[in-house]
Amino acid sequence: MKMIRWTTRLAALAFAGSLAAAASAQGSDALIYGKSDPNARSGGKLTIGSLTEPPAMDPYHQAADARIRVTVLAYQGLFYEGANGQPIPLLAESYTMAPDGLSYTFKLRKGVKFHTGQTMTSADVKYSYDYLRDPKNGSPGAGDLSTIASIEAPDADTVVFTLSTRNGLLPITLTHRYGGVIPKDYFSTPDARTRLNQTSVGTGPFKLKQFKPNSVLVFEKFQDYWQKGLPHLDEITFAFMPNSATMVVAARNGRIDTGIFTRPQDAEQLAKVAGIRLVRTPSMNQKSIDLGSEHPLLKDERVRQAIALAVDKEEVMKASLAGYGQVLGTMVPGMQERWGLPLSEVPNQKVDLDRARKLLAEAGHPNGFEIDLTTIITYDWMDAAAVTISEQLKRIGIRVNIKKVELGVWIRNFQSKQMGFTFNDWPSSPDPSLLFYRHFRAAPQGADFRNWKHDAASALLDRGREESDYAKRRAIYNEFQKIMASSVPTIMLFSSDLLTVERERVRNHQQHPTGWYFGLIKTWAPN
Amino acid sequence: MLHFLVPRLMSAVIAALVSSLIVFVLMRSVPGDIVGQMLGQTSDPTATEALRSFFGLDRAVHMQFLEWLAQVVQGDLGRSWYQGRPVTAMVADAFMVTLQIALLTLVLATLIGVPLGVIAGIREGSRLDAAIQAFNLIGLSAPVFWVGLMLLVGASALFGWSPPFTWSAPSENLSDNIAIVILPVLSLALLQAAAYSHFVRECMVNELRRDYIRAAFAKGLGPAEIYFKHALRNILIPLVTFMGLILIQILGGTVVIESLFSLPGLGRLILSGIQGRDYPVVQGALLFVVFIAIVVNFTVDALYGLIDPRMRA
Repeated sequence: MKMIRWTTRLAALAFAGSLAAAASAQGSDALIYGKSDPNARSGGKLTIGSLTEPPAMDPYHQAADARIRVTVLAYQGLFYEGANGQPIPLLAESYTMAPDGLSYTFKLRKGVKFHTGQTMTSADVKYSYDYLRDPKNGSPGAGDLSTIASIEAPDADTVVFTLSTRNGLLPITLTHRYGGVIPKDYFSTPDARTRLNQTSVGTGPFKLKQFKPNSVLVFEKFQDYWQKGLPHLDEITFAFMPNSATMVVAARNGRIDTGIFTRPQDAEQLAKVAGIRLVRTPSMNQKSIDLGSEHPLLKDERVRQAIALAVDKEEVMKASLAGYGQVLGTMVPGMQERWGLPLSEVPNQKVDLDRARKLLAEAGHPNGFEIDLTTIITYDWMDAAAVTISEQLKRIGIRVNIKKVELGVWIRNFQSKQMGFTFNDWPSSPDPSLLFYRHFRAAPQGADFRNWKHDAASALLDRGREESDYAKRRAIYNEFQKIMASSVPTIMLFSSDLLTVERERVRNHQQHPTGWYFGLIKTWAPN
Repeated sequence: MLHFLVPRLMSAVIAALVSSLIVFVLMRSVPGDIVGQMLGQTSDPTATEALRSFFGLDRAVHMQFLEWLAQVVQGDLGRSWYQGRPVTAMVADAFMVTLQIALLTLVLATLIGVPLGVIAGIREGSRLDAAIQAFNLIGLSAPVFWVGLMLLVGASALFGWSPPFTWSAPSENLSDNIAIVILPVLSLALLQAAAYSHFVRECMVNELRRDYIRAAFAKGLGPAEIYFKHALRNILIPLVTFMGLILIQILGGTVVIESLFSLPGLGRLILSGIQGRDYPVVQGALLFVVFIAIVVNFTVDALYGLIDPRMRA
């Protein structure tokens, strides 16, 4: 029995869309974390296979996406990421922005308990975000909060964030990626960072029961969780399987109930097994080729444009993902409708070999050139993509040498802005400013990993960050995307769909487009 | 006894020192560090600096080495940068997993490989010999990964069964533990049994061609006495050396099999340590592997003395 279900998430989208982008938003509790199943029963345990493993469980100091995926179950911020990248109030019940845009006042939810048993107050919220934003504490989240000048807690249920400059995306940065609200002064206690591998101290619906690296991670239901009746599951076990062949066997024999697969052929194979369904969810990730301007050949805009005009994204996507993905213009699919430049208006998207050759000739390379293309070991999709792209570029005389590097080496090159010509795989950044600012804003405000140094683009990114009106922001980011697509510091290729394999007993598991496990909070599973 | 012990201990200490220095330098010459991994796509200079100083990476490398060495001498391998657990405890946990797999593999491989090798050696040139040699060839040339995968997929296709992929120690849940270790042990044992069998056969064949065997036959001794009392006894020394080598190989961690069957053994501990640039874990675990190699070699040397009285002189 083959069952492939597309998650439409109409309800979630409709809900998120109805929220006003600016000023104030009121959370509708029933819809937090997706729609509820009226038939849901409490109890039951779930085992989830996972190809990736978090290096540690500290949400404040570990950037790894594998860590974010699971810690969203135990830690919560003032907001969480809606399915289309909209911030939805979570520990904040409501908020207002001052008319000058320089301060935000948050009303906190009452009766929220930490896993430690304490009740959450505004002092805890102030402490948590103050800790997170201080770069001396070494959190990857500090950069997102650099516009905060001070945080005050005038009473037990109110916190006021004062900004140094306007920052329309403040709410989306107060979400789950990094940090989360924890008890005041937690990090002053001995071994605080590493103790988070044994006990969680957040407010989330599940608390950490056990973490055995290279083996399992177990969460149990938090009995004092503030959303009444949630979560449904008593226990969730993540079994770490570094090998996808192993995970296929485990799913087939019921050793795991669900898991996200990265190789389409594995997921397709399992979809044919009785009692197993394949759920395909558009994601917010982004696979791209970066073109660093520090590279002697790539610093010429015409060379970059020529490469863009020779790449057939659709063909690369089919070779890499067997069609389980979506070709991109300049925005991830989950956010295309809300933030994306309409695909018909994005420059340099259609293959045009004549123009590409002409541009190369103008740049002084009538016979093409030779260039190294970097791929990362363990990123399966890059291998097929590299071969396809090298064939495509051959047509305009560019000879590609594929160079495989280990992830740690790649990160070093990335952070030292020596990326050259490389594949990149970005995790979710559910807001255009989060998506673009750090990557493309010229230094020192941004990191500008590709050494693009584009003044007009940087000015737009500054304006986009200060603006809080949706229509104006959208216009700014559309303008930015036009510049990006025409100057080509990066070629956004496609985004891979999340391929979740589930056994039938798994009910109401709504996969979030980030791949983070928010959906498990309303999942239930009859034994 | 001292004559036997002292030079070996001295060389063991030197080997440990040199190898830990090599590991230390190698780990630090691999591009990228833990700070890069923790910060991901951010590279705020203040945060980078703060984390580098948190982990002591801002100090001179030779100072880092000496401090680490001073700790090690006191029996402290430090703590994992990610987990915060003492490296000794992490290595001990992972080693127990690997040790169980290694010992079971060794026993199974010996039980299969040695008799096969002896039989093939005695019956050199027969069909039985050819069949055993074919087994050896397959066992030695099939990649362990492939054998493991075939066993995993085969068990699933034929019996609809797969091992649980979450580790249970024998003391926690014996039946689960057996279910977990059976396939990895079989995959490793096939290779090792073939290696044993091949090795023992060669030794037997060489031994049986020697003059003293011919003399024994001429003297009218029974085949059983000749094969087992004389020939087999004489190949025990190379066999014990060979067992030592195999044990070191498996104990050093079998990353491939551990990954395939999701076993939290020494190989994966080292691999994830290297990937995450968790220096204390990699340094501690590799030092331990060196230590194990030394202990096994030492034991093998000591066994020589038991087996062959000439060595005791």
